[in-house]
Amino acid sequence: MGSIFDRLWRLGPAAFVLKAIIAAIVADGLLLAFIFLRRTYRRRFFARRDARVFALRRQWDALISGQIPYERWRKSTFDRRIVETMALDAFEAAGPEESACLLKFMRASGLIEKRIFEAQHLTGWRRMRALVALGRTRAPEGVPALAEALRDRQVEIRLAALRGLGRTACPQAAEEILAWVGEVGLTVPALPLQSALIQCCTERPQLLLPLVKQAEGPLREVLGRVLGEVATPALAVELLQFVGDEREELRAAAARAMSHSDAALAFDALSELAQDTTWFVRLRAIIGMGRLADPRAIPTLLKGLSDSNRLVRLRAAEALVQFRAVMVPVFQHVIQLQDGYGLHAYLTALENADMRGKLESQIQFSTKIGDEQKSMMQKVLQTGRLPTEEPQQGKPAANLSGSQP
Amino acid sequence: MIRFLDMSNQTFFWYYLASNLAYLVMLIVALKTSALHQRKLESHRLHWFKDAPMTPPITIIAPAHNEEASIRVAISNLLELDYPQLEVIVVNDGSADRTLEELREAFRLRPVRAVYVPESKSAAIHGLYRSDRDARLVVVDKEAGGSKADAVNAGLNAATSPYVCVVDADSVLERDALLRIMVPILADPKRVVAVGGIVRVLNGSEVEGGQLRRVRLPAKSIEAIQVIEYLRAFLIGREAWAQGNMLMIISGAFGLFRTDLVRAVGGYRSQAIGEDLDLVARLHRYLREKGFDYEIRFVPDPMCWTEVPSDLRSLGRQRARWQKGLLDVLWPSRDMLFRRPYGRIGWMALPYLWLFELFAPVMEIVGIATIILAAYLGVLSRQFFVQFLMFGYAFATVISIGSVLLEEITYKRYNDWKDVVRLVSYCFLEHFPYRQLHMIWRLQGLWQYLRGDHVWKPLKRKGLASAGWQ
Repeated sequence: MGSIFDRLWRLGPAAFVLKAIIAAIVADGLLLAFIFLRRTYRRRFFARRDARVFALRRQWDALISGQIPYERWRKSTFDRRIVETMALDAFEAAGPEESACLLKFMRASGLIEKRIFEAQHLTGWRRMRALVALGRTRAPEGVPALAEALRDRQVEIRLAALRGLGRTACPQAAEEILAWVGEVGLTVPALPLQSALIQCCTERPQLLLPLVKQAEGPLREVLGRVLGEVATPALAVELLQFVGDEREELRAAAARAMSHSDAALAFDALSELAQDTTWFVRLRAIIGMGRLADPRAIPTLLKGLSDSNRLVRLRAAEALVQFRAVMVPVFQHVIQLQDGYGLHAYLTALENADMRGKLESQIQFSTKIGDEQKSMMQKVLQTGRLPTEEPQQGKPAANLSGSQP
Repeated sequence: MIRFLDMSNQTFFWYYLASNLAYLVMLIVALKTSALHQRKLESHRLHWFKDAPMTPPITIIAPAHNEEASIRVAISNLLELDYPQLEVIVVNDGSADRTLEELREAFRLRPVRAVYVPESKSAAIHGLYRSDRDARLVVVDKEAGGSKADAVNAGLNAATSPYVCVVDADSVLERDALLRIMVPILADPKRVVAVGGIVRVLNGSEVEGGQLRRVRLPAKSIEAIQVIEYLRAFLIGREAWAQGNMLMIISGAFGLFRTDLVRAVGGYRSQAIGEDLDLVARLHRYLREKGFDYEIRFVPDPMCWTEVPSDLRSLGRQRARWQKGLLDVLWPSRDMLFRRPYGRIGWMALPYLWLFELFAPVMEIVGIATIILAAYLGVLSRQFFVQFLMFGYAFATVISIGSVLLEEITYKRYNDWKDVVRLVSYCFLEHFPYRQLHMIWRLQGLWQYLRGDHVWKPLKRKGLASAGWQ
């Protein structure tokens, strides 16, 4: 007895093609039948569902207040799914009072309990669906089930759990996430982890500190970034220890965090970080100094205008423009720097803040500078060229506006 | 002679079989991955991304050349997209009409010295403007550079976000398209360096105030057939190639890239005829040579709706240009073929493009000629010839209906029964004479390129008015 290939071969090419034609025609027919049957089924299903949604919506207040006994709709899977979807959708747009009311309804009706059970006992996409639903409710009792799912084998499930925990935005969720990353390290991409931690640690950022001190490698960087986002002035002293940290991310986080703290404490640290060898640490420090709005920062910000990185120059310029009482002397200093890139960054920031007119009039009415100086400054303001720049160099406007190494 | 015809027919037979089998495999892969993608979507609440503090900013680059009729609405549409941190850069590419004036009036533009770093090659800039009405809008006014690539490069030079999304100014993006296209990046920002979205045919649909109101199948056959082509290309082809991290094209009408990498490869090649394919090929080369662990992904649900040619002449020019663009990219990339550093790109994706895309019209015409000749000379059984034709027809129809099925089980944008019936009927009708015309256009493209016509020519479009723009 020959193999199937032998038998096919013996049929000859014509018979083979004939069979292929039949197969292709049958495939065409099956595909068409599937499309049309599916359409018909879906049309009927959605017509039925829409009618039911309409009916339930009319009784919505009675439903969530419990006037209509839960058993009346809970027994039918079809009705239960509709009610749950409606409740979860309502959560998205609800204010605190309505959310509390909805949460009470979901607890009393057993919907949350059911989802917790599913999140703990199901697997695959069914578990994922339960985790998403739990996240949407923001119910604190869902946190343990969500935390348990962080240990799932599938990364998609872990991500769903992480996002769900992030939605709850409570310190309990932060503790669970931190315990988990402390235990297993970085097993999910950094962005979702950072987002979740930022949402959960806003209330108690100090939760992060022990793990930041302990963690190593990329995890330490990730946590440092989170710390930078959520740190409050109360943490300023703790954060000082990271100013000299070997990890750039942590130094940047310290800079970011210091900008929220007391100027007296932050100023020296930020001045030091503004001289860092890594550009994004300098960037964060310059942004931080801008936020302090302390005139002592002006020399550092002027130095930032001549930075080798264009983002640092731009942020330094944006910070300098905010010192509205001393715009004329600042502009004088900018010109004295004799740095075309710095000047253009400053002029860009000035125009973006719509402050050019104000500076023009301040120069015009200033009593502290002479007419010659005034005219030179107005010219620089209008042409965007430094006094020493030769006009015949003839750079086109585009180069003027954007020349950079 | 007879021996030659016999060999030629055999070659054609196996070539045809291999090409169809490849498409069948892609259809199966696409069906599987689309179903998985639908499941995955259940774990993503898009507005969670919108609220997430770490969602990275995006700069949209929209090149505009003589778009005075639709530019206001198109840019308003872009500014209304659902995304937390957005910058929109419109590049007025030397328009001879009132495009810039329209923008000035509609968005109260004022000249600024926004940071413009000429890292990527483009024509000279006349000025940069920022909107007083919406500070997220920047307009770059430049000399006509003669290509879309040149205009995009100007936008790239002014972009300040870590990701750039290149769109056509006359396309319509669905409101949540950016959130959807960012899903793979948010899940794995280190590895995912570029994402392509799906482009669909706008003709025939109803658009109001820059937003798509109702999706309809175009009334004209030539436009409706292109709907099937787009479904096949995006829902089957790109979905399947992206699964193996071998996606070679991200449509110029809607694609997202990591800014630093696009800059690292020198931006778009100004003289490229198919700038979108060219950029992705150079990204693959760069990343493979540097030994990066990366992914270029395709997401089938962020929809971009674009106008397609509505007459044979324009369509022929477009398809000839695509074919020229393909050769224009494949020829400089020939050193990547079958070489270890380029992995599956060199061993699978590029050979496929050479064999089944570039040479397809040549093979098709040679095959048809030799089969007819062989049948005439009696070398080929006429019965076999007719049977083979029937098989080819039925099999190609399976693939087309498969793409309609994919649309049905996933996104189901054509809600009207009439549209679906028409769409399915075009699956049967597209093979004669559209396919043969298509082959001729592609041959024309190859011929033009070989003759030295390497110039990028923009297509004439009717504008969004043709798509029921109100």
